Amino acid sequence: MQKMTKETSLLNNPVKIASIFSMDIDENYDVVIGLEIHIQTKTKTKMFCSCATGYFHEEPNTHVCPVCLGLPGALPTVNKHALELCILMGLAVHCEVDSEVHFDRKHYFYPDLPKGYQISQYKRPICHDGWIKLPSGTIVEIERIHQEEDVAKSTHHIESISGKPYTLIDYNKSGVPLIEIVTKPCITNAKDAKDYATRIRQIARYLDISDADMEKGQMRCEPNISIQEKGKWQFKDGKIISIGNYKLNPKTEVKNIGSITAVEKAIEYEIQRMLEEIRSGKKIIQQTRGWNADKNITEFQRSKESADDYRYMPEPDIPIIDIPRSKVEEIKTQLIELPDEKVERYIKDWGLSKYSAEVISSSKESANYFENLQKKLSKVMNEKDSAKEASNWLMGPVYAIANKSGKDWSQLNIDLDELADIIIAFKDGIFTKSKAEKMLQERVDNGCDIKKEIEKMRKQKSENSTNIETIVETVISENQKAVEDFKNGKGASIGFLVGQVMKATNGTANPNTVRNILEQKLK
Amino acid sequence: MKMDIKHIAELSRIKLTEDELKEFTPQMEEILASVDILKEKDTTNILPMKEHITFDSLRDDNPKTSLSQKEVLKNCKHTENGCAKIYGDVFGSDEG
Repeated sequence: MQKMTKETSLLNNPVKIASIFSMDIDENYDVVIGLEIHIQTKTKTKMFCSCATGYFHEEPNTHVCPVCLGLPGALPTVNKHALELCILMGLAVHCEVDSEVHFDRKHYFYPDLPKGYQISQYKRPICHDGWIKLPSGTIVEIERIHQEEDVAKSTHHIESISGKPYTLIDYNKSGVPLIEIVTKPCITNAKDAKDYATRIRQIARYLDISDADMEKGQMRCEPNISIQEKGKWQFKDGKIISIGNYKLNPKTEVKNIGSITAVEKAIEYEIQRMLEEIRSGKKIIQQTRGWNADKNITEFQRSKESADDYRYMPEPDIPIIDIPRSKVEEIKTQLIELPDEKVERYIKDWGLSKYSAEVISSSKESANYFENLQKKLSKVMNEKDSAKEASNWLMGPVYAIANKSGKDWSQLNIDLDELADIIIAFKDGIFTKSKAEKMLQERVDNGCDIKKEIEKMRKQKSENSTNIETIVETVISENQKAVEDFKNGKGASIGFLVGQVMKATNGTANPNTVRNILEQKLK
Repeated sequence: MKMDIKHIAELSRIKLTEDELKEFTPQMEEILASVDILKEKDTTNILPMKEHITFDSLRDDNPKTSLSQKEVLKNCKHTENGCAKIYGDVFGSDEG
């Protein structure tokens, strides 16, 4: 694990210049963003009852019991594994873990919340004061991670006959474990917010804490955004405070964001909207807005003048849960090398480019595939060259093929041995790169036997190498026009002759060798 | 103790008439005042009485059978496609 570095001290300085992307950002304003991310953790049962999770595509209201239905007298029993996953997430983002778990009730009345309150955590979240480093090097401070439960799924309709609005409720989602990760308002631009959400998703997936699929609602991002006049405010003790008489502009919270790209777009839109409000002399009001992905705009949902009044109180049905230090240490052993650590190692030890390192480590599966390929290649070349070859092949031809079918390279049916064989055969000069690429594509399309094919080509190659001169001579005698052109100074026509030889050798000859032999003979 | 019953009613999505507000406000205040008696007791140096349990005693993550859809929807006034159907806000006030 990394220790807190001096980079975090950056955060003690007021925020850096906001915009790094091509947007119309007013130079008189700073952008201040905080992000709340909800993640459904991957447990088999719900947070406070033994109903199965995994409700996707299931018949409505079949994963429900008196507890998650909020029937009177039903008592919650805390899911141990859910708390372990919450702590694991906390440790992965360098949080302190509390020694006790305190649950609270957060009250509000809505059809998706059958108890009339959500069991959540108020004053004492399980994890607090963490941070992560973005690819750009920026540190994002995490204020807290707390455990709570999801609400039911509600869909809104209008009755065709009566024209009355109604809501349909499926309680399968009610009570699914949910963790909420809250940053401090320390993010200064939309790109960083997007990178932060991406990193959190990667970490959750690396550690199998969640599949974190935003389209399935397993991960939800809610940014809150404000713009403040430069020099009139400061970031202190995790909060935004005004300097002198300056009155801070209120923030907007954006909901309904369904993808990582929409996080960036929604924030960019909000910044522009608020700047325009200010420029046109209007007063910004505190409000909640919803992202409309079809129109690429945010829409007003409700004003926050009537501040939320959740009437938190300690949950009387759940005792305080002690977390012994030994438990935290035990969970810590589940931490594996995370994407930012991989990126650092790939660059430092193997000399990969930052871009390649980021792409390769974007998922645990693709990073494992890369590392295993590197290991296989390192049997015939040195560590660094193996890594570079593995990276070049994955980032080049394999990526292109995978991309066509919308897959990750680890999901293609090319096994590591086959890919390593192709790379090694190419390095041995058995065939050209374009031939290798063709073989890969064929392997994916038709599942041809690569091992056999390479063996055949190696054999052909050794036969060719003995009679390559004969083939060259045949090509020369059959292509007199090109030979004449070359002799008359048209250098390019040698390319044509090389091509003919390559064709005759089924692509197994080394084009450079062929060229040398041709040049010798045509001198 | 002065209470804003209107605010509490709004949070609970209950509509109260002016007469009801007038009637309930003193009643609620009385209830709270009776609880206020507890404040007279000096609780300095007294630890909050809440039970502690160990982490390992928590429930293991093993699924059990849930209720059937029929049982879940048994008390619903209206249903549609296996879902509870609610008109208007929480308490079905818009059923007409």
